[in-house]
Amino acid sequence: MSVFDRFSRGDTDDAGEVTKRRGLVERYVDSVTSRTGGGSFVTKSLRKVFPSHFSFLWGELALYSLIVLFLTGTYLTLFFEGSQEVVTYTGSHEPLQGQEVSAAFDSVMRISFEVKGGLLIRQMHHWSALLFVGAIALHMARVFFTGAFRRPRDLNWIVGLTLLLLALAAGFTGYSLPDDLLSGTGLRITNGIILAIPFIGERLAYLIFGGEWPGTDIIGRLYPVHILLIPAAIVAVLSIHLALVWRQKHTQFRGPGRTEQNVVGERVWPAFAMKSIGLLFLTAGVLTAMGAIFEINPVWLYGPYDTAAATSFAQPDWYIGFLEGSVRLFPPWEFRAGGFVINTLVFSGILIPGIVFGGLFLAPTIERRLTGDTADHHLLDRPRDAPNRTAAGAASIAFVAVLFLGGAQDVVASTLDFSVGHVTTVLQFAMILAPPIVFVITKRTCVELRDRTGPERTERRVPVERTADGGYHIPDDQLEDWMLAGGAAPGHFDEMADHSTVRGKHAHRDESDPVHADEEALDEMRDDAGADR
Amino acid sequence: MTQFDDAEDDATPVTAQRPVSDEARSEWSSVAHEDMNLRAYRAAIVAFVVAVGGGLLAAIAYWTSETETLLGVGLALALGGIGFGLVSWSKYLDLDEHVVQQREPLRTTPQQDADFEEQVEVGRQTVGRRKLLVGLLGGSFVSLAIGFVGPVGSLGPRPRGERDSTGWAPGRRLVTLDGSPVDLSSGIFDQLATVFPDGMIGRDDSQVVLLRLRPELLSERTIDDGALDGWVAYSKICTHAGCSVGLFGVDDREPDVVRQLVCPCHQSVFDPTDGARPVGGPATRSLPQLSLGVDDEGFLVSNHDFDRPVGPITWDEG
Repeated sequence: MSVFDRFSRGDTDDAGEVTKRRGLVERYVDSVTSRTGGGSFVTKSLRKVFPSHFSFLWGELALYSLIVLFLTGTYLTLFFEGSQEVVTYTGSHEPLQGQEVSAAFDSVMRISFEVKGGLLIRQMHHWSALLFVGAIALHMARVFFTGAFRRPRDLNWIVGLTLLLLALAAGFTGYSLPDDLLSGTGLRITNGIILAIPFIGERLAYLIFGGEWPGTDIIGRLYPVHILLIPAAIVAVLSIHLALVWRQKHTQFRGPGRTEQNVVGERVWPAFAMKSIGLLFLTAGVLTAMGAIFEINPVWLYGPYDTAAATSFAQPDWYIGFLEGSVRLFPPWEFRAGGFVINTLVFSGILIPGIVFGGLFLAPTIERRLTGDTADHHLLDRPRDAPNRTAAGAASIAFVAVLFLGGAQDVVASTLDFSVGHVTTVLQFAMILAPPIVFVITKRTCVELRDRTGPERTERRVPVERTADGGYHIPDDQLEDWMLAGGAAPGHFDEMADHSTVRGKHAHRDESDPVHADEEALDEMRDDAGADR
Repeated sequence: MTQFDDAEDDATPVTAQRPVSDEARSEWSSVAHEDMNLRAYRAAIVAFVVAVGGGLLAAIAYWTSETETLLGVGLALALGGIGFGLVSWSKYLDLDEHVVQQREPLRTTPQQDADFEEQVEVGRQTVGRRKLLVGLLGGSFVSLAIGFVGPVGSLGPRPRGERDSTGWAPGRRLVTLDGSPVDLSSGIFDQLATVFPDGMIGRDDSQVVLLRLRPELLSERTIDDGALDGWVAYSKICTHAGCSVGLFGVDDREPDVVRQLVCPCHQSVFDPTDGARPVGGPATRSLPQLSLGVDDEGFLVSNHDFDRPVGPITWDEG
């Protein structure tokens, strides 16, 4: 007898007799579904199949770090003050006592030193942000290199990229809020980039910053953007992203029994849910440990923002690194005509990131144009199976990686004991040369791997015998081969069968009853097989 | 034949997609028990025990004000324990299934396309028939959008040439951060100071780096543009992206005696002996030079404001 049985009321018939005993969960779920008509949806969802592969975890990881971000962020809003009003710091951190700081900086100091557990939550929030964007990047790389961005998921690729942009915006606005020396410098650079925009730059900068730099408005403005507008947008776009995954079903790698028409894996309940909720808690646990042990963004060391100060080794959070590198590495070129100037920042601060993200948004279109492939794809490629795509992706990553290094070229130079100028020159050449070199090497490697004939490339053909009652039988001496080929146990051969031969006839069959549908398909297949005889 | 048995277990949950009979349930559980992964079971127990301990540790840490590290470690153990426990539990249950589900077709059928087009056409012929109303509605929306431009404009004032002037004016003393003026004869060579116009300490657009260099190092045009007795003053705002040019490098090794102003943000390098022209990094324009004079009491003053906007420029300030 389960725990729930003790509390269960059970259904009663007209005579008041208990006909069926039901658990607590069933009764509560039913109380909603019987009022919304969602019963079959819930059941279908619980039975939904997810293929499993370690690389499918990155998206979940991003989702779970977002949950940690929402929870820790909400806590922080209860203490943070989004204001540039000047106050005198009187907190417990002695080196800054008596200094004039903004109310925003003062409140971050209070969170870090006075609020019990505040520093932990703050550091967890920061680490989660870094992990959030990192997991998105890995997730995106997986989707790209396996070809999962192709139709019909080209749509969701664009939705996902929008999420990445929102994540970057969330990261940048959040990073800027403490009004410390590093973040203030970052905002100042942003102001410079906006000023450089032709036609509207100056007006736009005044609108965003409330006048000439630095003004007294920007922190107060970034705050609602960071805690309301962007999170709301993320929730909205994420809902679309997940709904599309749900609707289109997950992709899967090639394998025995896996076709473009089916999805093979484990059910949401309980197998997938159990592991995934486990991952949620593991993610939260690791982020909490990092927040507790590893110091991040110690604003008390940077000090409050002072427009006349700047610091060496000023690196932004990692996901802004490529932009920082672009701004550092782009040569001092500007174009002048008739008193007008296209500033170097237009290229390094707007054009290059524009090209990077433009390329990402257009990736599905570009691949479709180049290959002429407009079909739907649900089976994933191994990276080696699409050498050109993989090489293009690797080359793009190489480009962004050089930019990323460029964003820390002063650190690189001091570590290697070279002059910054030399490191910059090397990286400038690398920016141009690395992508084509990486392209060639990657393509070559892919082709070698793909064409290598090894045991895993051998197709095994296993003779299967028909039994008198219409079933199938694998002769004992063939069993081992069958298993090595990845086949299911003979007793369940029907479920594992590749139904491709009959798919056409069932293009519109109701999926709500996959078991029944499969049996129907099997019957047809048996008939077909019989006819062949 | 062992492989055969393993595989059968793998596939067992497939049967569970049919209405689960009591027989099937007991069969399943018996299989699970036979095959129970004791290690995973024990791991789950340990993990959940750690989780319980972690939560308590966190509570104790809070009450004893050990919030720096111990609180987080406790919470991390609680969260991680639950996570690890759940994953181990699922391993113990051996739920690795291979369930096959058919995909639903995503593309529409010709019939569905036709239905859709028909329905759109109905709207077009009913609503769209009144061209005047459609036009007016569209006009209303455009007008509405225009009406909202005003409040958006309130976000920031229209630029009114603020960028053309700074706090520097003829005869204005240069003062350091603590407010003291700079005596013409006081400087030590090759030392950098940040100065502001007297009475405007901290004013962003007026920040200036003041250096005293050996006069023989200075180029002619640097002297023409307002160097005085080895003193040179430049806008401290980098012309590249606006950071404060706070680093000063000296290299007296012959033959390349070098003086450099470096912006720590993007490593733009300027030559203070030659009008602070850019000599490295991404900056394209020299730092505007402040023309220096000296007042009756022997303190440095500015002769006039900068002759061009400081810092990163807009597109029409070329």
